[in-house]
Amino acid sequence: MSYYDLDAILTDAEKVPCKFELDVPDLGYLDNNPSQALKAQTPVSLPLWLAELLALSSRTQSSNPEDSAPFLTLEMPKALSNEVVSALKADPRAVALRDQTHNMYGLAARMLDLFEEPEMCAVLRRTFVTRAAETALHARKAGATDDVVRGEGFLSGLEEWERSLFRRAHDGNKACKEWMDGVKK
Amino acid sequence: MALPLPQGLVPTEVAFLCEMEMVTIVPRQRLESIPLLSGDTPALRPPHRAQMPLWLALLLKKQRRANIVPPAWLHPASLADIIHHETNVDPQAFSPPPPPPTRADGRGRARPFQDNIRSSREQPKPGDDPRLAPPFLPSPPAGYLPYHWLELAETLLAHAADDVPAAAEVRSLLRDLQEVRAAKMRGSTQSLEGGGGVVVLRGVGAMELAESRAFVLGVVDGVRKLGASAEATRREEEAIGGGGRYGGGAGGRGGNFEDSDEEMEF
Repeated sequence: MSYYDLDAILTDAEKVPCKFELDVPDLGYLDNNPSQALKAQTPVSLPLWLAELLALSSRTQSSNPEDSAPFLTLEMPKALSNEVVSALKADPRAVALRDQTHNMYGLAARMLDLFEEPEMCAVLRRTFVTRAAETALHARKAGATDDVVRGEGFLSGLEEWERSLFRRAHDGNKACKEWMDGVKK
Repeated sequence: MALPLPQGLVPTEVAFLCEMEMVTIVPRQRLESIPLLSGDTPALRPPHRAQMPLWLALLLKKQRRANIVPPAWLHPASLADIIHHETNVDPQAFSPPPPPPTRADGRGRARPFQDNIRSSREQPKPGDDPRLAPPFLPSPPAGYLPYHWLELAETLLAHAADDVPAAAEVRSLLRDLQEVRAAKMRGSTQSLEGGGGVVVLRGVGAMELAESRAFVLGVVDGVRKLGASAEATRREEEAIGGGGRYGGGAGGRGGNFEDSDEEMEF
């Protein structure tokens, strides 16, 4: 992953729900209450890079892993909630991933690093592979026929990884087609 | 920030390599042997057929000095056979690649194909392996597709359509075959779903590879990234499970595996 990878930066900026484990002074504005301290256990949304740091680092100095208490506890973002995962389990193609978040898989990979969710991992994997085949089909058909309208719903639901797959598949097809059209010369 | 060149060969490069494929021609004029870097071409004596690289054959064809004999597999019946095999006999896999070339040794046995110049008594030296690679393989028998099938067929149909029997039919059969195999190529990534699945690409042609390389690599890479954490957990468990037997060595080995996995990214 490159330092300049825009998708990685955008994934880092995704908001994840989390709760502070302790009262935080001067952060009340996160809860629309600037005059008071942020109470512990108030649900707030923080960008992933910050939440991850705070959830993994310990607030005490001791290096003993037993009494390490993190600043906050993370929760699964809405895009990876149970409803979405069950919908994906039912039919991967019917869900518009882009409506959940633009970097669905990037976010999922990061969250799977933090949470141990073998089932979600399997579902996402199946989703990715199934949707990739569908994406490739649309990439081949795109521009060749006029039935763009039919695939429009699916294509507008592609998230970033799938978009790049679409582009790759389409570029390959296009280069091949270009050669075939030019072979006469 | 690297060169914006795609990985692997692009279709035009594949087509260029395909021009080294040997095709059979029927010359119309005499032509002495031409010394080329790849060896001397056979001297052309009009009624006798000769083997020529595709590029030279096309040149002679354009100058109306030769006719190209289309390869056996390009016959409509052979193509229909292959399509039947792809759709009915084995709808999962691609049709098998041609068998390794053999020739009779004069004693009733088949031997692996070797260069005609090499006598059968001469022992092959290590380092000059007589086994041939795709552009230099002899044309496969009917019912099998060579590595460069799509490019070769397209080129022949474009430049020597009058030499190909039933050119229109061949063209439509080729379209069918291409669609069938493209669908399989897309479907081949489905086997990654369960994890540990390997995309079987036996019998895939060069042009199809060039077309789908980026896509298939993208899918494999995506699956790898999604499964990275599960894979790391599995390795950890393995290292802990094996820790009793191998002691500290297991952890170090696990680390090595991880490194090689990163390098394998492409």
